[in-house]
Formats: sequence, structure tokens, C-alpha cells
Amino acid sequence: MLELMDLSKRYKQFYAVKNMNMYIEKGEIVGLLGPNGAGKSTAISMLSSLIEPTEGDVLFHKKSILKNPSPLRKVIGVVPQEIALYEELTAEENLHFFGRIYRMSGKELRQKIDDVLKLIGLVDRRKDVVKKFSGGMKRRLNIGVALLHNPEFLIMDEPTVGIDPQSRSYILETVKRLNEEKGLTILYTSHYMEEVEYLCDRIYIMDKGNLIAVGTKDDIKEILSAEHTIHVEAELLNNDFIEALQEEPTIKETFVKDETITIIVPKEINVFQLITRLANETKVELKSVNVKTPTLEDVFLHLTGRALRD
Amino acid sequence: MTGIFLTKIKWLLRNPWTFLLMTVFSIGFAFIVGGFNSFDKIKVPTYVEEKSMQEMDVVQLIEKQGIFVFEWMSYEEMEEKIISGKSEFGLHLYEDDFQIIVGIDSPNINIVEQSVTNAYRKDRQIDQLASGILESKQAILHEITEEPIFKTESTSFYGNDTFVYDSNLHSVYGFTLFFVVYTIAYSVFQILIEKRSGVWDRMILSPIRKWEMYVANFLYSFLIGYSQILAVFLVFRFIIKVDFHGTFLQALLVMIPYVLAIVALSILITGAVRTTQQYNAVIPIVTISMAMIGGAFWPLEIVESKFMLLLSKIVPITYGMEALNGVTLYGYSFEQTLFPISILLLMSVIMTGVGIHLMEKRFIS
Repeated sequence: MLELMDLSKRYKQFYAVKNMNMYIEKGEIVGLLGPNGAGKSTAISMLSSLIEPTEGDVLFHKKSILKNPSPLRKVIGVVPQEIALYEELTAEENLHFFGRIYRMSGKELRQKIDDVLKLIGLVDRRKDVVKKFSGGMKRRLNIGVALLHNPEFLIMDEPTVGIDPQSRSYILETVKRLNEEKGLTILYTSHYMEEVEYLCDRIYIMDKGNLIAVGTKDDIKEILSAEHTIHVEAELLNNDFIEALQEEPTIKETFVKDETITIIVPKEINVFQLITRLANETKVELKSVNVKTPTLEDVFLHLTGRALRD
Repeated sequence: MTGIFLTKIKWLLRNPWTFLLMTVFSIGFAFIVGGFNSFDKIKVPTYVEEKSMQEMDVVQLIEKQGIFVFEWMSYEEMEEKIISGKSEFGLHLYEDDFQIIVGIDSPNINIVEQSVTNAYRKDRQIDQLASGILESKQAILHEITEEPIFKTESTSFYGNDTFVYDSNLHSVYGFTLFFVVYTIAYSVFQILIEKRSGVWDRMILSPIRKWEMYVANFLYSFLIGYSQILAVFLVFRFIIKVDFHGTFLQALLVMIPYVLAIVALSILITGAVRTTQQYNAVIPIVTISMAMIGGAFWPLEIVESKFMLLLSKIVPITYGMEALNGVTLYGYSFEQTLFPISILLLMSVIMTGVGIHLMEKRFIS
């Protein structure tokens, strides 16, 4: 359905996106994962025909959108990261405005507004001005606007940033339902690993403008199949213990976050013995040592040396 | 297009504050600076030997001129004010003569001297007339000041270097043209906000055509700017009773190309800046410097610097003021008015073109 061919966007000497290759098939939910500044929004702007790539092409049904973006624009709905609404207007007025620019009017538009308000759970707040809405309600309306014209392909750029868990789960359920019930193709970008794990069939991981991993959830986790991810908690962490772990040649990666140390070691190593020895030598009292099934977060940590939300 | 336009109107109705504030500022500043109130008229410490002399005919004639107001006091008080520097000069009125006591030399002395001399001259003429006929001097005075026998209309011609200046009208025009730049600029500013929030991108992805987006925005900004000028002129014409020298409608008409040029200038700035913060920083600088260079605050005729005069040639306010002064004070013919109008229209076309080009650089057409 949609293909990105060696897509790059360069600003002077800086590559926001570099040689990106990607495809999206009809009816699937594809995740685009990466920390802030990874280049996700730039990639989305290029594939939705909003900005011109410096190099490469975007093909929609095998035809370049650079010369003629209209066929793609007719079928996409974009949920931008920002709240792209008129805050001084009511929810209904916003939907009415965006419906009008999609050439809808009269009964058809009124019906569609009702449907969308029901879908996003804002029927009771339809007459309220958007600026009085909570963050979660604004996000829901932001999604609703993108659904007004019955798009076939929905691009969602971090649609759950800065909202409460309840609204977040409502949005995730809605996205899942749209895909399952209406067959909507969705490109979902996020830096929340668990959202992408929950929603997406295939995942692209980006960092610093480059794609660093591609595949299904299992494919990506397979990257860590030869290694154990171990979380170590200690009573009073000290630098000697951390340095000892970092200097130990059999440990591939060591990350410290809050009071937890995450280490990645080859499966053949007897890790408990090793950690206990190092803890004794540095006089650290261990609280727990857990071997975890690798998550996408661990993969990202392994690939980039940084946590997703750093 | 209608959808965008109506949404903007709805937005304006919920956020009318910039529009209202700028309209009030235009009226307020023009009213105060233009001398429509008595507070800023020259107050002249004046002494007469007897209190009854304050009712002299010549005093009434001076008051009618409205150039300065008397501040009656004793001779000692007047002297004290002048010596202490609180007043630049004082006036001693006699029945058929006057004396100006000067403390500090000031251009106001000439204005007051001329006004008082004229009043005494007129008073003598009335005396001579009254002595020859039966009507009382008071009746003639009333007729001359309140009900002139002949209603005259005059047509004037001016040489190239003639400078006609009406301080009241200059303030009305200057401040209206100045403050409307803010109103228009902040209405065009909505484009930047829409770009930042993503609403603009949503419109680009919709079936609406680009020209419809621009026309709707242009039309909205034009209407809001023109409505402000209309409101200010109407207040001065019908409430403050400024007669615009009988050219009220012409003055309103020549404002059309000016408003177009200011909308175009705002679009150019919108295209040139990258952020709303930059826009907010640029607008006051551009507006104030344009008003100073273009003669909104003072007549360009008193500017001597050739460089500043050269700069004024690229500023829309210069041509807005020229068109207004032309039709109102100089009695410009249609052909003469066409010159500033053409320049403003040319500016509108060029600035809109460049502004839209800059805005579009980022997008796939």
C-alpha cells in the first residue's frame, strides 16, 4: 500500500531522517518507535506528503506521491502530535469546521459528527469549548477530527503524549477497535514501548534519524535471544559495585536507572554467581536478582545504549 | 473557503479583545494628541485690570479660535509663574491692546501672538461696522461667530512646495493607520498559530485548495482591518464631529488599498519568520518604525533627512497618509489620487506573492 524508498531529510548538514526504508500493508497496524528527536515526526510528515524529502521517494500503490499527492491525501487521516484544534471553538464546531473542509455538509456532516463524538466518548461535551477540556479529551477530539472523512489509512503521531492512564487506555482501545472492526490501516508512532507492543503487528525502531531495527515483536525480541536481561536491586548501591559490573568483561551492557541496575549477559554465563561475587567484593547487600523476558525497551537499550524516554 | 472564513469570524467573536483594544487606542490617541480635548491646549496665564474685562468681546473672539485657554490670575501671580519657569510667558490684556510678558522664548509665543492680534483686529472691524449701522455690536459679533451671513466654499490650489497641515486630522489619520497595522498583523498571526498547532497541515491534507485557504485568510484580515478604520472614522465624523473637509467617503475609499497593502505586508512577515515568538518580536519594530518613517506621528514635510525621506518611499503608511491628505486637504483629483493608490496596490501584489512563496517553500504543492 505505502512504501518509503531510501527516504532522507537533511537540514543543512543534519540528517533528521536518513535512508529510511519502510512498507505498510493494508489492514495492519505498524509501530514506529523511537525516543524524542529520533526523526519519527519528520518521517511522518514526509510520508503524509506534508514535507518534501531531500532524497528518496514515497510510493502509494506503486506511484510516487511527490508528483501527485492527491490519491494519498484522499484516504489518509493524520492525528498530529500537537492538538490541532481551535481551542476557542466547541468540540462540535471543530468537527463541523474540519468536516466542511472535507466538503461534507448538511445531514451527512451532522450524522458523521454524531458518530465521531460517540466513538471518542465526547457526546456529553459536544457544546463545550475545547480550551476547557482535559488533556485526554483534547487528544480524543484530535483523533476524532482525523476520522471524520472515513480515512482508510490513519497516521497517529504520539497520540497519547501527556494524558492520564484512563484516557490513554480509552485511546488504545479505540485504535484497536478501528483496526479490527473497520479494517483501518494504522501507522502508530510512540515512545511508549508498551503501547506499541500492545497494538502493533510490525515495528520499526528509529534512533537519531536511522532505522535501527525492523520486524515483528518476536523478530525484534529475538535480537536478545542469545542474551539474558537481568535486573539487579541492591539495598545501598555504591559506585564500586556499578564500576565492577561495567568492567566485568563477560557483561555486555550495564545500565543504571534509579535503584535498579540492568545488565545484559550471554546466556551461557552463570550470572548469579558472578553478581554475588561482585556484590561481596564491593560490600553491597543485594535485594533481588531477576532474569527478565526481553522487552522492546531492553532491545532499544541494547541497540542504542539509551532508554527510550531519556 | 466559506468554512474557513466563518470559523475565523466565530473565533473573532470569542476573542474580540485585540480588535477592540486597537480601535479604542486609535480613537483615544487621535483624540488626545489631535487636541480634540482642552487639556492639551496651551494654557496662558492672563491678567486683566478689572474682572469685567474677562467678558470683553475680544476675549470671546480669542476663545472661539480655540487655540489656547486663558488662565486668569493677578499680575503678581502671573509674574511668579513666569519667573519660576512654570509658564513660558504671560498675557496682559487691555481694552484695545495687549502685551506678552516673555520668560522663555518658545514657538507657542508666535501662535498666541498671532491669535490675539487677529482677535483685536476683528474686534476693531466689528466696532467700525457697528458704528455705521443700527444693529448692535453684539448682534454682529453673534452673526460673525455663530451664523455667518455667507456660507462659503473655497477651492484652493497649491504649488508643489505648499504644505497644508491640519493637526487634528493628521492625528486621526496617523493613529488610525498605525494601530490598524497591529490589528491586521495579529489577524494574519493566526496562520502561524494554525501552522504551529497543526491545523494548517490538516487543511493542506484536505481537499480544500491552497488558494481558498489564502483567500479566506486574506479576506478575513482585510475585513477586520477595514472595519477598524471604518469604526474610528465614524466615531470622529459623527460623534466628535470632525468634518473631514467634506471628503469622508473619499477618505474611506482610499483606505482600501492601504489595508490591502498591510495585509500583504503581514503575510510577507508571516512567510519570513519561523516562529510565533519571532513574529511577536518583529511586528512592533516594523509597525513603530513604519509609522515614524511614514509620517503617521508627524508630517513628513518637517523631515529634513534625505535618507529618511528616501526610506519613506518604501513604507505603505507614507502612501496611505498621502492618499488621505491628498483627498482631504489638497483636493486631489482622481488622477492625482491614483498615484499613491497604485503604489499601495503594487506593494500588495509583490508582498503577497513573496510572502506566499516563502510560506509554501516547506510544502509539497
